Amino acid sequence: MSGRARLAMVALAGVALAVVLVVAVIDLPRPDAPPPRSAKLSTSVALHERHVTNIVAGITFDLRGLDTLGEELILFAAAVGVSVLLRAQREDSTMQDAADAAEQRRAQVPASARALGAALAGPIIVFGAYIVAHGQLTPGGGFQGGVILAAALLLVYVAGQVLALPTDSPVDLVEVTEALAAAAYGLVAVGGLIFASAAMTNFVALGVTGHLLSGGTILILEVAVGIEVASALTLILAELLDQALLRST
Amino acid sequence: MVLAPLVVLVPILAATLLAAASPFAQRGAGLVAVAAALGAAVLTALVLGSSGERGVTWFSGWHPRGGAAIGIDFAPGRIGAGLALFVAVLAVVALIAASRLITVKSLAFDALVLIFVAAMLGFAYSGDLFNLFVFFELMSVTAYVLVGYEVGQRVSLEGSLTFAITNSVGSFLLLFGIGLLYGSSGALNLAQIGRALEHGPVDTAVVVAFALIASGLLVKAAVVPFHLWTADAYAVAPTPVCILLAGAFSELGLFGLFRIYWTAFHGVLGPDDDALRVVLVTAGCLTGVLGAVMCALQHHLKRMLAFATIAQVGLFLLGLALLTADGVAGAAVWVVGDGLVKAALFVIVAIVQHRYDRVTEGALHGRARGLWPLGLLFALGALTIASLPPTGSFLGRSLVEDAALKEPGYAWVPALMALVTALVAGTLLRAGARVFAGWGAPAGDDPLATDDDDETEDERGAPPRSRFILWALATVLLAAAVGWGVVPGLIEAAGRAAGEFTGTQAYAAAVLDGAHRAIAVPELKSPSATGYLYAAASVAGALAVAGAGLAGVGGRMPRGVIAARERLRGLHNGHPTDYVAWLAAGAAVLCGCLALVLQ
Amino acid sequence: MSVLQITALIVVALAGTATVAMRDPVRQAVVAGIFGLSLSILFFIFGAPDVALSQIVVATVAVPLMVLLALAKLGDQGEDE
Repeated sequence: MSGRARLAMVALAGVALAVVLVVAVIDLPRPDAPPPRSAKLSTSVALHERHVTNIVAGITFDLRGLDTLGEELILFAAAVGVSVLLRAQREDSTMQDAADAAEQRRAQVPASARALGAALAGPIIVFGAYIVAHGQLTPGGGFQGGVILAAALLLVYVAGQVLALPTDSPVDLVEVTEALAAAAYGLVAVGGLIFASAAMTNFVALGVTGHLLSGGTILILEVAVGIEVASALTLILAELLDQALLRST
Repeated sequence: MVLAPLVVLVPILAATLLAAASPFAQRGAGLVAVAAALGAAVLTALVLGSSGERGVTWFSGWHPRGGAAIGIDFAPGRIGAGLALFVAVLAVVALIAASRLITVKSLAFDALVLIFVAAMLGFAYSGDLFNLFVFFELMSVTAYVLVGYEVGQRVSLEGSLTFAITNSVGSFLLLFGIGLLYGSSGALNLAQIGRALEHGPVDTAVVVAFALIASGLLVKAAVVPFHLWTADAYAVAPTPVCILLAGAFSELGLFGLFRIYWTAFHGVLGPDDDALRVVLVTAGCLTGVLGAVMCALQHHLKRMLAFATIAQVGLFLLGLALLTADGVAGAAVWVVGDGLVKAALFVIVAIVQHRYDRVTEGALHGRARGLWPLGLLFALGALTIASLPPTGSFLGRSLVEDAALKEPGYAWVPALMALVTALVAGTLLRAGARVFAGWGAPAGDDPLATDDDDETEDERGAPPRSRFILWALATVLLAAAVGWGVVPGLIEAAGRAAGEFTGTQAYAAAVLDGAHRAIAVPELKSPSATGYLYAAASVAGALAVAGAGLAGVGGRMPRGVIAARERLRGLHNGHPTDYVAWLAAGAAVLCGCLALVLQ
Repeated sequence: MSVLQITALIVVALAGTATVAMRDPVRQAVVAGIFGLSLSILFFIFGAPDVALSQIVVATVAVPLMVLLALAKLGDQGEDE
């Protein structure tokens, strides 16, 4: 197909789809209409029966916990996929080159940028951990906090440093952590079957609404997802950087 | 019922633990993954056995309150449970084939296959619209990686990329549709959506939501014009992945569409189902005919099987699009029989590809004479696609024929199905005769299938291990495909399952009220004389097509036909941008058609 | 609908169009980051702070960065050939 014919076809189809979508949206109930029954029910269940003040966490990690398991696995599969595809193409020398380049870069990054990176990394890690641990109380949670944690590692790299871990192959460690965190979600789901009545049912104490240790399994799942997301993103970035993001001591 | 969640959780746990072990251990023959798939298969069988009471499982135990769902449910019914069992069995077959065909060392391969399988099983069970979408995405993401897994060659990455781009666009359409439907019904549970829409008007939001959801799922099912990615992906995918893609992935797209139709949309669109039937049957016809014609034009064996799959999907769609329980029962029986045959054919092609490093008709001409017993199996597989009695394909097809004859105005459907299956089966017979016997004129040029870029690194580097397991696998699969047609009580069971699948009110009562309602079970008959006649016509047609192909008729067609043929080939050019353009146009046309006929 | 909401919608539409109109992949990655930021503001204004939070980090940091790294990798391979 010629470029012009293709463009004409896409333009025509796009306009047609846009028109039907707009007409369809006009048919929908107004935004200020009362919320549907299921939405109201979910809110009250999350607050009163799951002891969370962040209703979104109650919905994503309990009422619709199966969706969140699936979404976490999408990220897991993507990270495993990226590492598999990139490793298959990479030669051993590339990794050494990348590590050398990262070493050289350290000398080129201005001292002020290095200092800023070092100064910010700690607070960002604390902030990420805070967001993960308070998902049941305030907006945030495992996904959001996990991404922030991965961003801290990246900041270290941009500032000309790399994280050194006391292991021979730090990327392997990240990979194992990622897989175990994904497994943890599945285990909590099975735990509901064993210790309670149905898969994913809460089986630990719910705590007092509004306290840090509340929400039962939701807090456990937030932490598992936080670790999974942080390590999945780290794995993807590390593989794209030919594993030069991490170093062994 | 505690078993249904375990069906999904067992392969997920096995996959994540395998991935955690991957830095320390190597795959070997992948027996852990086979064991996990077997475990899932046993669980799916138990779920099917106990789904008589319409087993509905609510995650975290959140039962609906006052008819409003707050959690996510698995409500497979017999059709969903049966499809899941079939998927799990195919997964075992694929993983056994992988133990001989895939030589990669990383456990990540097994982990990805198991997650792919878990997503398909969850998709078959789920009773929640958004949850269906999540499993749909999970299956897609793992499939993209698995198709491009053998990245020794550039083409395999290209095939995977084309697959990813087109299917992502399909996902967007699906998600738009889900958003619209949630907006207009205020629910995500399929049964609850059905009840919310039931007494309302057929407004634009509902029609457009259905059209967009259908477009998204038809991309997966590879229905024309959403099918363009299929051959590019199959040609490069490792054989075990092809088995799952051809046998289950496309079929799940159709299953999803009709699960959503019968639970959520039938109440509101039911009065207009004559109009809807016309649109969907047209799509099925187009897909069947185009798939069969394109199949006949291929010389690359895996591409040939890819187009055969598209053609068959078109015929399944025809059966389901009749919007009757009879059609559903026929399609369900046919899907299983056909999936088994397709898996056997892929295994046979893999054996040949391994031994001779080639996968096109031209390059393999007469080279596989030494493997003549395999050639006989291949011919039997091809004839099964032409619905040779008493195979499962024959039973399924004759049930669909009966269903079509019951609908006024669709008496031509059996003839069209005979034509399509004859063309597809004839093409496969032609290829088999050339490869395994060296008969007829060598195949002509096929600009899209060159051999040098089509072998895959891992498959080529495979050590000369015993092929016994692969031969056994192909034989067992074919035997199962034949035996499927004579399973006692299958017709009654399929009828009951289909009645349940199409019983909108009974489904909603079971899911939302936990109540039991009677369903209307269709009266199905064993294949009649007409069914045998159509089957005979198919087989005779297949032999004629094969003979014509071997005699080189393709090269002596009138110039106009050849020009049209090349143009048709040119549409399947491997450019993802072109494919997306067709996809957008298809979605727009589907929206337009449905808006016209339904309002 | 408030003025703030309408403004946010318009900004998102403009940023989205700009992302599509940008031809150079490197610039496109940066503009896509800005688009992501405008989307996160939109989510916040429409009362979804949870989504806004993940949107900020994913769409303004992670995705543009992955695109840039992937482009850098492609550039490396191009030099090899």
